[in-house]
Amino acid sequence: MDNLRIEGTKQTPDIEFNASTGILNISGRSIPENTFEFFNPVLTWLDEYAGVAPDKTVINVSLEYFNTSSSKYILEIFKRLKNIMNDGKEVLVKWYYEEDDEEMMETGEDYEDVSGLPFEILELEE
Amino acid sequence: MAKQNIYQQEIENLDQAKKFLQRSDYSKMELQLEFKKLLENYEELIDQVKIITKISDRLQNKLNRTNEKLELTNQKLHDTNIKLNETIDALAEAKIGRKAATIVLFVAILLFIISEAWIEPMIEKAFPNFWVGLGLKLIVAILIKPGEDFTNKYMLKKARKKQLEEANKAEETDVKAGSKKI
Repeated sequence: MDNLRIEGTKQTPDIEFNASTGILNISGRSIPENTFEFFNPVLTWLDEYAGVAPDKTVINVSLEYFNTSSSKYILEIFKRLKNIMNDGKEVLVKWYYEEDDEEMMETGEDYEDVSGLPFEILELEE
Repeated sequence: MAKQNIYQQEIENLDQAKKFLQRSDYSKMELQLEFKKLLENYEELIDQVKIITKISDRLQNKLNRTNEKLELTNQKLHDTNIKLNETIDALAEAKIGRKAATIVLFVAILLFIISEAWIEPMIEKAFPNFWVGLGLKLIVAILIKPGEDFTNKYMLKKARKKQLEEANKAEETDVKAGSKKI
């Protein structure tokens, strides 16, 4: 299965999903003009990944800001990861937030509550 | 397969429930199952709405705070810019002042030479009085300061006009660049 690589822009996050290592990175800002167009390939990739996922998947989320529709898609990503976990595989979410960015930290906590996935909420050092 | 739009799954669930309702041949068991499914979907939707609203509000606050910080920084930048412009103006005035003084001094020296070489011998010939020549020199000396002030004001006015023209030109260029972007 191919890896997924989407270069980040001022409006869209940088995405680097590696199917063989099970390390998925998403970082930057997510305010795309068309969220569906941006996230559709990501969700499609995850649907395919669910069938070939290695024993452990780690997703590193380091977002600076995202809009409302992106928050729904992030939830969709976590839902797919939860399905992988339900298949007996290990999944870990590493949620990074910048120093003093309480909003992003609390957002990570909310996603942890609602997704049912194990989270590590980590402060990024300057 | 990813959904075609952000709420596609929810729309599909709703359509399914509507279709079921249109049927007339369902059993009590089927009705219960359909209702359970609808309830679960509804519950999930509420959970989603709750979390998305919460996150959205929080990030909106973050955005507002960032905007406030930006406004404050802009204000500080504006104040610093004003101070900088004042300093630049003061420096320009000082430079012009020095230039005006040099010009006036040069003119005074020139007048002195002209007066010594041509005017004074003519006056001495016409009015053989010591005080006339001295009075003339005194007038030239008295006129030095107002002359310097006048030259200074004139040069300053010219420099400001040039500055204003340059600023207008820059503004026009910005507007043109902005309309091109749009």
